[in-house]
Amino acid sequence: MNNKLLEVKDVFKTFDRVVHALKGVSIEARENEIVGVVGENGAGKSTLMKILVGVYSPDKGEMYHKGRRVPFPRNPKDASRRGISIVYQENGVIPWLKVYQFLFLGYEDKYIKFMTLQMDRMKEQACEILEELHVACNVEAFMHELPLSTQKMIEIARAILGVRLESEDSETTPIIILDEPTSPLTDDERKELFKDLLKMKRNASFIFISHIIPEIMEFTDRVHVLRDGNLVAQYDLSREKMTEEDLFRAIVGRKSSEYISRSEDREALGEEVALSAKNLSKSGHFYDISFDLHKGTCIGFFGPAGSGKSQIIRTIAGLMSYDAGDLKAGDQELKADELPHVRLKRGIGYFSGETGKELFLNWSIAKNISIINMEKILGKVIPVIHFSAEKKMAENIVQKLEIKSPSVGTDCYSLSGGNKQKVSVGKWLERNPDILLLDDPTIGIDVGAREDIYEVLLEMKKNGISMILVSDEPKEYFILCDRIMFVMDGRVQKVLGPEEFRKVMST
Amino acid sequence: MHPVIIVFLALLLIFGIIYPGRFFSAINFKAILRQFVTLTLFALGPTFVVVTGRLDLSYIGVWMLGGVLVWLFKPILGMLSIIMIPITGIATGLFIGVVQTKAKIPSFILTLSLLVTYTGLTALLAGGYPRAVDGYEFITTSLIPLIPTAFLLSIPIITAAVFLMKCTRICVYLNAIGSNEEGARLAGINVDKYKILAFLLSGVFTGIGAIILFQHLGGSAQVQLKLDSIVWPLVAIVLGGTPLTGGSGGPQRTLLGAITFTIFYRGLYLSSLHPTMVTLLVGIVLIVSIIVSARGLKGVTVT
Repeated sequence: MNNKLLEVKDVFKTFDRVVHALKGVSIEARENEIVGVVGENGAGKSTLMKILVGVYSPDKGEMYHKGRRVPFPRNPKDASRRGISIVYQENGVIPWLKVYQFLFLGYEDKYIKFMTLQMDRMKEQACEILEELHVACNVEAFMHELPLSTQKMIEIARAILGVRLESEDSETTPIIILDEPTSPLTDDERKELFKDLLKMKRNASFIFISHIIPEIMEFTDRVHVLRDGNLVAQYDLSREKMTEEDLFRAIVGRKSSEYISRSEDREALGEEVALSAKNLSKSGHFYDISFDLHKGTCIGFFGPAGSGKSQIIRTIAGLMSYDAGDLKAGDQELKADELPHVRLKRGIGYFSGETGKELFLNWSIAKNISIINMEKILGKVIPVIHFSAEKKMAENIVQKLEIKSPSVGTDCYSLSGGNKQKVSVGKWLERNPDILLLDDPTIGIDVGAREDIYEVLLEMKKNGISMILVSDEPKEYFILCDRIMFVMDGRVQKVLGPEEFRKVMST
Repeated sequence: MHPVIIVFLALLLIFGIIYPGRFFSAINFKAILRQFVTLTLFALGPTFVVVTGRLDLSYIGVWMLGGVLVWLFKPILGMLSIIMIPITGIATGLFIGVVQTKAKIPSFILTLSLLVTYTGLTALLAGGYPRAVDGYEFITTSLIPLIPTAFLLSIPIITAAVFLMKCTRICVYLNAIGSNEEGARLAGINVDKYKILAFLLSGVFTGIGAIILFQHLGGSAQVQLKLDSIVWPLVAIVLGGTPLTGGSGGPQRTLLGAITFTIFYRGLYLSSLHPTMVTLLVGIVLIVSIIVSARGLKGVTVT
């Protein structure tokens, strides 16, 4: 069918001698196609792309361009000379530039005559290029006036233009890497973007990185699946029949041996309903979500990134509002526009595994724990902080969770990742909310520390705290949840028990 | 020990050696206290705002506009017209807080434009001339020899500010907002409310402080905006160890900054340096302390 345009073979990359980001990955891009690269966070996608554009150099590996062996690019400039360029996820656009100014940003020297910029020629050429690439817009408009999808298309056009201006071989087809281009876009904008992208295929090849399975299924010609630094599968979507779930399973892997059975910990579902949602919807994110969260149980929302699972938990936390439906905690209604502090008063806490978000790194452990437990350390008559109570409270938590630190006065930034996480979880243990929302509770920490966090969370659940989990780690659902709701495209597809979930994930 | 304390002691030592008789004299002692009070009362309020990572430059505006309002209302309200100063302060703080928080306008530019507006309004109301207001001399009548009464009066104000910042949850929440606003929101803090509160506290403390300063600085409504009076309180805040990025520090640090800066200034004052040279050095001190505080000082504990 198509000729191979770019191929890399057996690429290895190790950081700091211990982190094996890539363990012999091979991928290829053919002429005039969109090839998808998918994988979980940390699968090695970004590292591979950075090698392709010369940001990193690989430890080992081979690169072929049109079947001829070539060295890896040394830097992004070198890469674009070979015809490879990248459009990053965010921050690529300069809002207060006009379209043609942005398009030629950095290439103005080609349009300078007698030290003045030839605006008219730039505008003319910009029109020509955008027309050729099927991007419809006014070159005199400011970037920020355009819809996000058009902004993205102009960024892509700029990347193609860059390759043309820099490349040694004017005949070459540009290879444009798109790093999760659709994540800031709404559904409609996504569709627009893909419509344009399919037209642009005639002028370039695209390597398309995404988390969002439906768009990969619909718009790419072939797809490479990376997991833990290996290429685990590749499919030719034009020939093979696949479902979204097949692809999803390939991405998360069959890690059935890792599932630790926790069934002995489980008790019958409590009668009392701690939180209930009825037809909860937020247009563009999730639709008709209904569930009853019983006291002392845990519900997980499981699905690929972009499925709407994070938006569901953020809505319950009060970080987003919902459009329609009912949300109730016990008998109190949770209004759509309530902020997190109101939700907390109603007994709903939000725990994010991202320590940068959750912790005050320049503060001591004691302060980080007391911040959400102020009431416990304030004087009854005069609301004055009792520092001895604060210290005692923190010492108690440090001891219970075995946080390794010289004292409770130690600043949090000096702690290891696992210990930081324990401090975050510890403050919620002390707070003892009715409902705890877990948003990727163990992201970025090692296996041992994870186990410790699970212990604490299970203990809290046993003591009657209800939980809702969203995570990128399938194992976590099995350990923590009593019910798992499978979310795809913002809708609950099915509800599984942990055992069923394990079976689905391991077949 | 906090590095600024070392700077403070070093300055004392150096100036004591260079001008043995003049530096440790009664006159200089009184001058130091006088200047310390001025700096502190102006800098105390804005410190609450700086802790949240924002900036409030309106303090001089409050003092000026408040002063002219006292002059304006004196015939109507009599002695009671002095309350125009705290009213101006509180109204200003509330206004800035609400606008800054709800409209999400950068506080620096907002308070700077407000300061300019106040200066214009003050000059307009006063008819372009400074106006002397009589009858409030009792505020600064000397009680104890050598110690300015303004200093004695500022003690309860300082105590209240330090108490709020050291012992109540306000301290924790304002620091939290300055340190990690997203985290503060996640921890269930009503971020908007406490941001407004920071500006309101700034207005309250500036307003009350300005009553004392009104008499302390001559008992008249001023119409001239002096750059020094804007910059020096800022130097006191930053030099004391409250970084402009927020997240740590507080009024107690500002006290330290104010006394250190005062010593520094008095030392230069006694020297034979030309006044322009002094301004240059003040600028350098501000730059250095901003750089040092932005890069963070190891070992500086969060209060």
